[in-house]
Amino acid sequence: MFESIFTSVLRFATEYNEHFSSGMAYLGAGIAMIAGFGPGIGQGFASGKAAEAVGRQPEAQGKILVTTLVTQAVAETTGLYALLIAIMLLGK
Amino acid sequence: MIRKMLDFKLSGPLSPNVISTLIVVFVLGLIAVIVGIKVGKLDHRKTPRGFVFVCVMIVDVFNRFISDHLPGKRTKVFGPYLFTILIFLAFANTISLFGLKPPLSNLSVALTFSAITIVMIKFAEVKYQGVWKKLVSLLGPVKPLAPIMLPINLIGEVSTPLTMGMRLFGNLMSGMVISVMVYTALHWAVGIFAGIFVHAFFDIFFGLIQAFVFFMLSTVNLSMASDV
Repeated sequence: MFESIFTSVLRFATEYNEHFSSGMAYLGAGIAMIAGFGPGIGQGFASGKAAEAVGRQPEAQGKILVTTLVTQAVAETTGLYALLIAIMLLGK
Repeated sequence: MIRKMLDFKLSGPLSPNVISTLIVVFVLGLIAVIVGIKVGKLDHRKTPRGFVFVCVMIVDVFNRFISDHLPGKRTKVFGPYLFTILIFLAFANTISLFGLKPPLSNLSVALTFSAITIVMIKFAEVKYQGVWKKLVSLLGPVKPLAPIMLPINLIGEVSTPLTMGMRLFGNLMSGMVISVMVYTALHWAVGIFAGIFVHAFFDIFFGLIQAFVFFMLSTVNLSMASDV
């Protein structure tokens, strides 16, 4: 009798651990995407400065647009790393 | 993971991303051969017309654009490579409009671009700076700080191309995931109308911007690497 209780507890513990680890992985994926703050602030700052520059020198609009797009794409990289980590955690 | 890598077979079934890559390569190769034959037959005293004129104009605009960053002979050396990258990415990122999987949403295709970039940057450095100058520049400008600067510089050598491939992969894959999420969440009658905006934003806008950004970063990196 004692053994059957023991095995059922053990089975419950393994099932619980399985669900617990997958739930923690989803939680981690959500926490990883907090990194989205950084690229958002960075891209907004870059585009604000670009708007200022166009206001000061409207004739250089083309070059400013190109530079802004490239710098924003560079600033986006950290957010994409967070996205990759989140997707890796979701696949667990 | 290593066992999975060793299980690789050439004759195995290709992933859909690689199949769409091959389709893009085939179509672009066909177009390039046709344009090449037509340009070869051109009469130099007459103005070209129609499709050939558009192609000549595109190449001319492109050469003028990159000659700001890569002046002189370097335009001839790196121009064809950069133009190939730009055209391929522009077609590959918008190919999901035709119902194929975007090739860059597969990590192996994206990391191929990292490999191509790292080879080109090393080639430019060896050709224009020389091996010895490059090795000395890894130590940093201040010689006593060399033990600290050397690992940072070595990481920087690898991380630049890796980041470029990862950026392509992340952008294209996130676009694909969001489109799939929209299509599965909505009824098909609503999904048709939502698909217009989703594809316009994630395939055309982001795809073309990413192609341009990859081309622009390659140009800047190559111009820094080949700067004497």
